[in-house]
Amino acid sequence: MSNTTNPMKPYLGKLTAVKDLATEIKLFRVELLNGGNEAFASFQPGQFAFVSAFGFGEAPFGIANTTQRGPCVDFAISRLGSVTTGLHELGEGDIVGVRGPLGNWFPMDQFKGKNLIVLGGGIGGAPLRPVIQHVLDNRTDYGRLTILWAARNPSLLVFTDEYDEWRQAPNTSLHLTVDHADEKWDHNVGLITQLLEKVAPSPENAVTITCGPPIMIYYVTRMLEKMGFASRNNYVTLEARMHCGLGKCGRCNLGTKLICVDGPVFNMAQVGELMETFL
Amino acid sequence: MTVTSNQYSVISQAELAAWLDALARTTTLIAPYKMADILLYQPVQSSREIAWDFGRPVMSAKEFFFPPSERLLLIEKGAGGVKLTETIHEGKQVIFGARPCDAHGVKLLDALFLDKPPVDHYYANRRANTALIGLACKEMGAACFCTSVGGAPDDAHNMDVMLYPVDGGYAVEAVTEKGKSLISDLRFTNADYTRQTSIANRKSPTLAPGASAGVVNPQSSIVNPQSINWPAHFDDEYWARTSERCLSCRACAYVCPTCRCFAVRDEYLPVEAAGCGPGCTQYERIRSWDSCEGENYRRTAGGHRPRAEKSQRLRNRYFCKFYFYPDQYGLGNASACTGCGRCVDICPVNVDITEVITDLAR
Repeated sequence: MSNTTNPMKPYLGKLTAVKDLATEIKLFRVELLNGGNEAFASFQPGQFAFVSAFGFGEAPFGIANTTQRGPCVDFAISRLGSVTTGLHELGEGDIVGVRGPLGNWFPMDQFKGKNLIVLGGGIGGAPLRPVIQHVLDNRTDYGRLTILWAARNPSLLVFTDEYDEWRQAPNTSLHLTVDHADEKWDHNVGLITQLLEKVAPSPENAVTITCGPPIMIYYVTRMLEKMGFASRNNYVTLEARMHCGLGKCGRCNLGTKLICVDGPVFNMAQVGELMETFL
Repeated sequence: MTVTSNQYSVISQAELAAWLDALARTTTLIAPYKMADILLYQPVQSSREIAWDFGRPVMSAKEFFFPPSERLLLIEKGAGGVKLTETIHEGKQVIFGARPCDAHGVKLLDALFLDKPPVDHYYANRRANTALIGLACKEMGAACFCTSVGGAPDDAHNMDVMLYPVDGGYAVEAVTEKGKSLISDLRFTNADYTRQTSIANRKSPTLAPGASAGVVNPQSSIVNPQSINWPAHFDDEYWARTSERCLSCRACAYVCPTCRCFAVRDEYLPVEAAGCGPGCTQYERIRSWDSCEGENYRRTAGGHRPRAEKSQRLRNRYFCKFYFYPDQYGLGNASACTGCGRCVDICPVNVDITEVITDLAR
């Protein structure tokens, strides 16, 4: 049976780059082999995939780049559990497994002509990087891009060596904050909600995209609504420890919705209709 | 289901046993089997091992389509890279003595594993290679409530062949083409009974809703759970109260014919089993049963633990049966519960699904 017919069988992929992004966070760049490159020919910002560290298992991760920036597939992975520990032991040239692309995505076409506010917390920045890349690579399609980027401390900020590219892009601004600063830190200190209050983006013709810990998503989107952003314009991407990503394993439901196939991208109007909280 | 006497041929138990013995030589025969005092569906070598006069096995027939633990992939990691081999079960199996609630359960699992894309290969292969020979229940068990969820003790739906206990043996009905071909060599040597058995002689009660029943249905007062406005009860205090004694032991999910939550993990294969040469390590990717009742079921590596309260988890199981799963997998107005009552019997602290239905229907 071929790869395409058994959705539980991963494609093999070769790690073409493994580099430190932050403390215990690495970027894994995967070149898909035998058929996988076709499956991953046109993934969308916000989609996810299962990555296998063979012998350790597999887990779902948001894809951290766009097809345009391909042909490889990027994952930013924080070492937290057994699968991620297994992945962190791998280096360039090693083989991983990848299943996907899975789930829905940010409706980038609908966002055309609008101002975008992107809010990322910690490793939650991973699935937002393709949004930023997409906007920068199609810059005239979108209005103002405001990036609010946060982490617990400076050593946990991801994609730091891309900040210059983001800052220098036309009509784009980057605002950084950390909960706990060190002596070298010369940006904001405090929660992302405090930064949001300070930056105070206008809800006029704007959509927001938030990813981070559930508690951050909760408070950020609550504040956005207070600031006048309609809930249907506040997009989030939700997490769950899925075991299939195909709507079968029953591990990621929020009421009748399954994060893996009905999400992971929702707007807050949809989240509000869920029977269950994502917290 | 309208049953007329001339649709049936009858086979004696001795003839049926001989036929099953022949069948067991060419295919895996699974039948009710008594292990110590526990009744289970088990592979048997001969009809002598079959528990002929049985009630309802403790475990459902689910495990023969969706095993408690199964290998999805063999993983071989060596100098030459990684090789993945799918493990697809292709052996033929016949389940003899399936109860209508088991067949109903298989149909409900079909909705998830087969009908909603993508098709699950492992389930699909087992399903295609398995035939169900049903045996109508002579009586309903104390916890049985299949008639409240659209089933009946003599329901032939979802079976390939259905047997009804009658005087002198079993009336045989081929339900599907697969069933017809399976029993094509069945010889009805007791010719006297052929086409002469009347419904009146059937010992199995017909308790389909609306039918006049000659036998007591112990749970006839259990309403159809789909008549309950489930969303209205989501935030009820009731769940905290009902779950107080729940141990989160997951036994209810494991005996359930339709609970299908699973976990996937990699396991190291010991060196003795490794056959891929020097420097090569073998692992297997395993899928095993899991349950939303489990305390750390939803925990992520980062520590996020939704549904931390057992009241939320117990509620999820009932909502899955009566609201979430029907919605997610297109069951329409049917529930994802077969009314087999296994979870009622197995629960060590008497959490009772029929009690929940009755309470919420008030």
